[in-house]
Amino acid sequence: MSVVTVPVAPSAVRPSRRRPFGRQPRDWVRVGLWIALLVAVLIWAVPLIFMVFTSLKSEPDIFGTPAFVPPWNPEWGNYVEALDRGNLLTAGGNSLIIALVKVPLGLFLSAAAAFALSRLRFKRQRLLMGVIAMGAMVPIQVAIAPLFQVINGLGLLSTHIGVILPYLAFGLPYQTFILYGFFRQIPEEIDESARMDGAGNWRLFLTIILPLAKPALAALFILDFVATWNEYSIGLALLQSQESWTIPLALQGFQSQFTSSYGPLNAFTIMSMLPVLIVYLMFQRYFVEGAFAGAVKG
Amino acid sequence: MTATAAPARRAHPSPVRKRAARVTRTGFVAALPFLAPALAAYAVFVVGPMVESIRLSFFEWSGFQGAPQEFVGIRNYVRIFTQDPVFWTAFSNTLVWVVLSLFIPLGLGLVMALALNRPLFGRNAFRSIFYIPGVLAPIAIANMWRWMYNPNYGVGQTLADLLNAPWLGEIQWLGDKNLALYSIFAAFVWQIAGTNMVLFLAGLQGVTPEHIEAAKLDGANAWQVFRNVTWPALRPTTVVVLVLTIINSIKVFDLIVGMTGGGPAQQTQVLALWSFQQSFGNHEYGMGNAIATVLLVVTLVIVVPYMVWTARQEKNS
Repeated sequence: MSVVTVPVAPSAVRPSRRRPFGRQPRDWVRVGLWIALLVAVLIWAVPLIFMVFTSLKSEPDIFGTPAFVPPWNPEWGNYVEALDRGNLLTAGGNSLIIALVKVPLGLFLSAAAAFALSRLRFKRQRLLMGVIAMGAMVPIQVAIAPLFQVINGLGLLSTHIGVILPYLAFGLPYQTFILYGFFRQIPEEIDESARMDGAGNWRLFLTIILPLAKPALAALFILDFVATWNEYSIGLALLQSQESWTIPLALQGFQSQFTSSYGPLNAFTIMSMLPVLIVYLMFQRYFVEGAFAGAVKG
Repeated sequence: MTATAAPARRAHPSPVRKRAARVTRTGFVAALPFLAPALAAYAVFVVGPMVESIRLSFFEWSGFQGAPQEFVGIRNYVRIFTQDPVFWTAFSNTLVWVVLSLFIPLGLGLVMALALNRPLFGRNAFRSIFYIPGVLAPIAIANMWRWMYNPNYGVGQTLADLLNAPWLGEIQWLGDKNLALYSIFAAFVWQIAGTNMVLFLAGLQGVTPEHIEAAKLDGANAWQVFRNVTWPALRPTTVVVLVLTIINSIKVFDLIVGMTGGGPAQQTQVLALWSFQQSFGNHEYGMGNAIATVLLVVTLVIVVPYMVWTARQEKNS
C-alpha cells in the first residue's frame, strides 16, 4: 500500500533509462517488441474496425464484400436509419438527465459520508466503513428482484427518479470508500487550525476538505459518468416503458427488433458509444488516476 | 467527555479549551447529518433488498403484487440443488469464468503493462487502444462481437476465405454449445485486459529505474530482474487486480444477455443471469432469490477474507 500514495499518471513518468553499453542489440529487441505490439494493437482494434466498416456499408456490400474491405462508398444512410427507427434521441436524453443528476449528487453524498467516516470521530467507525465498502463488491443481481418490488411499491417504475435512486445507492459504497482513503491522507493539522479559527463541521467539509479532494472528485466524476451511461441490468428491471429507456436498453431493443439490419445496428452501436468516447478522449488522465485511486484502496 | 464538568476549566489556556469543546461536539450525533442521506439510500436500496432476497428465498411467490407468498422452508434450495439442471450449468460456468479470468486477462494485462512501461514510439496510442474497450458499455461490446461471430458474414468467414481454410467459416461461434461460453469469454478478455494493464502500469511506477539499474549491475538478467525486483513490487497491485477480476467475473451479465441470452440450450447461463430470469422471466421469485442468495454467499466467501486482509495490512502500516 505504501507503494502507491500519490496519484501519478504513468504517462507523466518518463524514466530516462540508458544503458551505458550495448546499445546495438538492445535496439533490435526494441524494434521486435514494437512490431509485436503493433500486431497486437491491430488485432485488438479488429472489433472496432469491423463495426465502423459495417456501419458505412450498404446492405449488398455487407453481404457481398469481405469483412475487412473498407467501405469505399460510405453509406451514411445507416446512421439516419438508426436515428429514425431506434429512439436514439429519446434514450440519449434519458441517459443524459439520469447521469447529470445522479453523478454530482452521488458524489456529494459519498463525500459527506466519507468526511464523517474519516474526519469526525465516533464509535464503530471502521466497522461502518467496512459494511459500506462491502456493498461495492456484491453483484447487483443479488438484490435486483426485491429492488424491483421496492420501486414498484413506490410507484416509480419507468421514471427517471425511480432509477436514479438505486443508481445513487449502488454507487455510494465504492465512491465513499475511495474518498475515505483520500480524505485520510489530508493531514489532521488542517482540521485543527480550521477549528481554531472557529470553523464548524460543515464549513470544514465544504470550504477545506472538498476543495482539497478535487483531483479525486474529478476522477470519480468521469468514471461514474461512464459507469452510469453504460449501466444495463438495473435499467432492464426498472425501466419498462420504451419512452423511459436509457441508451443501453435502446441498443438492446434495437438489436432484438431489427436483428438483421446490420448496417443500422452497427451505426446505432457507434452512436451509443460516442459520448463515452468523447469523455474518454477529453479526460484521459482522470481514467488513469481513477483506476489508480481504485488500485490504492481496492 | 468530562471536560464540561471540570471545575479547573477556567485555568486552561483558551485554545486548548476551544479544542476540547469541539471534541465533545464530534460524536455520532455530529456525524449524522453527513452520514444520514448516504446511509438511508444504502439501507433502502441495497441492504434492504439483499435481506429481502434472503427472506424471499424461503417463500414461493410469483412476484405479482397481491399474489400470496407461501412459506416453503428450504424447498427452493432443495429444488435448485437437485431438480434444476440449469443451476449447476450456471454454477460451473460462473466458476469456469472466474478461474479463466484469473489467468488470461490478468496475464495479458500484465504483459501489456510490462511492454508499455518504457519509452516507445506511439506508446500512448497503444495504451489507449488497449484500454478503450474498458470504457464501452458491455451491452455495446456484446453487439459488436455478436456481429463479428456472425457465421455467414462475420470475421470467421473472411478469415476462412483469406487463409483458404473453409472449416474456419463453419464454426458456430455462439451456436455451438461447447464453444459459446468461450466465445463470450473472449469478448470479456477484450473488455477488461486494458483496465488490468492500466492498474499494473500504475503499480509499476513503484519500481524505480534505480532499483532495476542496481539489480543489473549485480549481474541479474531480464528474468531475474522481473522475478526479484519488479514482481515483488507489483504484489499489492496484483492482489487488487485479482479481487477486482473475481468481482467482475461474478457480475458478468450484460455480455451474456447481449450475445446469447444464456443459450444455446442454457449452456452459457451464469448465476447472475439465471437468478434474474427465474425471477422476472419465469416468475419463480423464490427460486430466483435462492439463486441470488447462493451468489451472495459465493461473493462473501471471496470478499470477506480480502477485506480482513486489507484491514490487517492497514493496521500494520
